[in-house]
Amino acid sequence: MSAVELRDLCKHYGPVRALRDVSLSVESGALVWLAGANGAGKSTLLRVLGSLTRPTRGSLSLFGVDPFSSAGASVRGRVGFLGQDASLYAELSVAENLRFCARLRGVAEPELHRIASELELGPVLEQRVRTLSQGYRRRAGLARALLGSPSLLLLDEPWNGLDAESGERLTRLLVRLRDAGAVVLVAAHEASGPLPRFDRRLRLEGGRVVADGAAA
Amino acid sequence: MNGLAVTRAVFAKDLLLDFRTRDRLGHMAVFALLVVSLLSIVVPASPTERLAWSPALLWVVLLFTSLLGLARSFQSETEGGALALLVQAPVDRGWVFLGKAGANALALIGVELWTGILFTVFLDVDWTHAWREALCAGLLGALGLASLGTLLSAMSVAVRFREFLLPVLLFPLVLPVLVLASSITGAALAERPVPTLWWGVFALYDWVFLSLGYLVFDYVLED
Repeated sequence: MSAVELRDLCKHYGPVRALRDVSLSVESGALVWLAGANGAGKSTLLRVLGSLTRPTRGSLSLFGVDPFSSAGASVRGRVGFLGQDASLYAELSVAENLRFCARLRGVAEPELHRIASELELGPVLEQRVRTLSQGYRRRAGLARALLGSPSLLLLDEPWNGLDAESGERLTRLLVRLRDAGAVVLVAAHEASGPLPRFDRRLRLEGGRVVADGAAA
Repeated sequence: MNGLAVTRAVFAKDLLLDFRTRDRLGHMAVFALLVVSLLSIVVPASPTERLAWSPALLWVVLLFTSLLGLARSFQSETEGGALALLVQAPVDRGWVFLGKAGANALALIGVELWTGILFTVFLDVDWTHAWREALCAGLLGALGLASLGTLLSAMSVAVRFREFLLPVLLFPLVLPVLVLASSITGAALAERPVPTLWWGVFALYDWVFLSLGYLVFDYVLED
């Protein structure tokens, strides 16, 4: 059974066809790069996989379960998602945000502290998110996405706003998660800077997968 | 994953945000103060007429004041993309709805108490013999307004003109709350017995919209 399985998936926003007949299958333990220009459908694909938006047509299965079915709630707990926003409450501190997310996902306090320390969030844990720099906000969002050790991690431009050192730390983290058996899907432009060595590269254009193969 | 734990987490987070920013509660409190002070000037000064007018005016003020708060009940989620957190909760999203509606109901109860005090100060409303019935009507009214308001507020999150859309959708649907709550308050203030049927219909209305919100929130939260 594939970890991620899509068949003829389409997503329309009114007259806009964001995804057109996307079919793909990803096995566990893969680091996959979603490449493509602006508007190619990368973010929409991640949002559909993250159960944030329902596909217009086609089928989707994550670890054998349709996340939009009545049984889909259980599989949402195995998915970590970091979109273009950090998805954090601006008026809560980083610690309060992480604690809230941990309670939503049934994650124990020690894991929260482990992730915060891994991403070196210690100095800003008690600061409100609205006062954080872009880089720290991104790291806090990443910490939030990593809560609960997700089996599928969906990241949209995760290197945006990160300095070189944090970017390299993120790269090492993604490789480690892949080695531990997780599927990591990363949407990024070619110009995003030094990217890790991906196992597979999917290129989207006009909502379609136009190339699928080993990353160069 | 325990749905009740998610409800508690959402409820506690919303209360924390309300107390921290004070925007929502502050705006509702000031709005109620302004409207009631204006009413004290235009409502006839005779005690009999004030007694007759007060229940309906009280609930109309509460409805408009609630609207201010309900319209902003998803503001903190939309500002930083935090709505994704609620959508991705690994439980039936109805539990998220219950947490949001519960926090809204508590905020509305606070506003009701404040408005009740304002009616005493500005319009000489005496709650001595009516406070039990008024409190029960307030609890049921808050629950009804919060259930429907939370659901409609979530539905209008991604819509242009949502400030316009919310009252247009909300007002016709909360008419039963307005009628029942003002009738019960009026009867209690006039020291008349409140028919049991009114309580039953009120509780049924709340139950219907709370259940409806629980059931459809899964679809409402997605794009």
